[in-house]
Amino acid sequence: MDIFLQQLANGLTIGSIFALVALGYTMVYGVMRLINFAHGDMVAASAFVGLTVYTQVMGQATSLFSVIVIFLLTASVMACVGVLLERLAYRPLRDAPRLSAVVSALGASLVIQNGIMLIWGPRMQIFPELVPQVYWDLGGVVISLIQVIILALSLVLMVGLYLFIEKTRMGAAVRASSIDQDAARLMGINVNSVIALIFIIGSSLGAIGGLFIGMYYRGITFNMGWQYGLYAFIAAIIGGIGNIPGAMMGGMLLGLFNAFIAGYISSTWADAFTFILLILILIVRPTGILGERVAEKV
Amino acid sequence: MKKMLKSLFVVCVAVVMTSTLASAETLKVGVQAPITGSYANEGQGIDNGTRLLASQINAAGGVMGRQIEVITCDDQGTAMASAICARELVNRGVKMVIGSYTSTAAEAAQKIYYDAGVLQTSDGTADNLTEKGYWTFLRNSFPNSAEAEFAADYMVNVKKYKRIVVLSDFSTYADGLANATEAAIKKHGGNVVSRDKIKADSQNFTPVLTNIKSKNPDVIFFAGYYSDGGQLRSQQKALGLNADFIGGDANDNPDFVKLAGSAAQGAYIINVPSPDVLPYPIAKSFISDYQTRYGEMPPSIWGLMNIDGMRAIIHAMEQNNSFDTRQAADYLHNMEEPLPGITGPIAFEKDGNRKGGAYVVKKIQADGSYSHEYVQ
Repeated sequence: MDIFLQQLANGLTIGSIFALVALGYTMVYGVMRLINFAHGDMVAASAFVGLTVYTQVMGQATSLFSVIVIFLLTASVMACVGVLLERLAYRPLRDAPRLSAVVSALGASLVIQNGIMLIWGPRMQIFPELVPQVYWDLGGVVISLIQVIILALSLVLMVGLYLFIEKTRMGAAVRASSIDQDAARLMGINVNSVIALIFIIGSSLGAIGGLFIGMYYRGITFNMGWQYGLYAFIAAIIGGIGNIPGAMMGGMLLGLFNAFIAGYISSTWADAFTFILLILILIVRPTGILGERVAEKV
Repeated sequence: MKKMLKSLFVVCVAVVMTSTLASAETLKVGVQAPITGSYANEGQGIDNGTRLLASQINAAGGVMGRQIEVITCDDQGTAMASAICARELVNRGVKMVIGSYTSTAAEAAQKIYYDAGVLQTSDGTADNLTEKGYWTFLRNSFPNSAEAEFAADYMVNVKKYKRIVVLSDFSTYADGLANATEAAIKKHGGNVVSRDKIKADSQNFTPVLTNIKSKNPDVIFFAGYYSDGGQLRSQQKALGLNADFIGGDANDNPDFVKLAGSAAQGAYIINVPSPDVLPYPIAKSFISDYQTRYGEMPPSIWGLMNIDGMRAIIHAMEQNNSFDTRQAADYLHNMEEPLPGITGPIAFEKDGNRKGGAYVVKKIQADGSYSHEYVQ
């Protein structure tokens, strides 16, 4: 039982990071029908931006204030990069065939990845210990402070995003644009600013995911975005791409699958078994767990 | 028009002649190392060291009058990029190749260098590197089997651990070292409660560690690289798994301590002695030159081992008074008097293994420095 609960805690921690990153994929896909392949590399870039904020702006201070500044500054910087990315790589191709936009996304991914390498170097960088290594032993299950922070902050952000999309006027505009951009435009919605908004939100959430990766695992490399991007992309598909609660659920499920399979079957085969399970889910529900069964537009 | 063609021809001939003349005057030395990727720290150490040695030799007049030209190729520590590098370096006409850092990359390139008759000296410690009968391969470190024997003896007979976990990744080096250590522990009568594997670079090791925790071990022996080792140590502590941690030689890198953070304290690392405690005069002068030129210590002993391999090959060429690689290999395989090296006297067995081997156990202190716990 201890092991089960411990694996549950491990799975939820990594799952909530996947979920934060998956939200960026799913929101962009929901409105633009585009897989933003550069998102994973944006996540990697944010860990490096966070590191630079820590060393250059905060003078390597590890107080609570410093952590808050690092989060806010990194999220703002990455939001700007996200908007810039949309302007440069996606907006000119808005009316082009979908394949061109996908190629542009792959190109943007390479540009960002190599940009990180040129700016911060090819070596693994070590993220500072922003949160002290504090642990609690709850009857055999050990939970660390950083795990609690990751879980709590992710949940707050996800609930906040859900309320924003469902309860506010801007949220309604986002939902309307995802259903039909032309009709939304006719209703007086500025679709361009909706798209800018989803890039701001998606990139900031991704940035927080990237900072969590840095804080939790400590070692960050310029090419790590690919791995996290792939996992989060799959999480988004499992939940039903374009569906926001679906991305959250998909991320959590993926994290749990991985932890339980590594724990109970074999760590050697964790990835293979995880993906076999995911394929089974998609065979039963091709549009993902929460995805709508919509007829393809012809 | 005819005149133009004629002059073009003359220019071409001149260019070809000067380029062949220029290339005849240099001794090309290839560096195949992970300049980018997870092991970039080590790869750059090998490249920096080779270039430093080359510039020192060049300043002293070169090798038998030829200046050394260093050509670097980044293999990212992977087998695929390694094979591409090997072909490129062979095509560019190198006589010897320094590297690579990982056994996986060294192994993938071996056959290509063997077919081309290019000497390769690598710090790769996997035993199978020298089991193929390639006369071109010269190991400048000591094989896994020697380290496995030392580690097993230390764990079973010195520390008297009752429950041992052996952990590795899937690479040639790590898997080989872990298997050899497991066998050696059993030979010494020790009890291996679990033999697990992790995926290098996957960062999330808590599922495996949680499983290991349920087996209640006294010690985790990790054969693998520092980039994973540091994270393993930190996640081990975060799970409240209070077993000792012993890392194999590839954990001996400053990044291990940085990655593990405050959890690094108390971890053990088994390796040959660190660069800063090498007692040889040639080591002290080379390391101080390295610091002057690059503003930092060599990242680990591995780069220096590779430099010793390069020094041995050049020494052999000078003794033979020939750039022939076959003759140089023959000389090195039959050396009677070892060459004084940065990492100790260097000489080779017939199969290309470096002779000797002396290990130490280092314990990481609160400030990240090492204390030498146990010396062979």
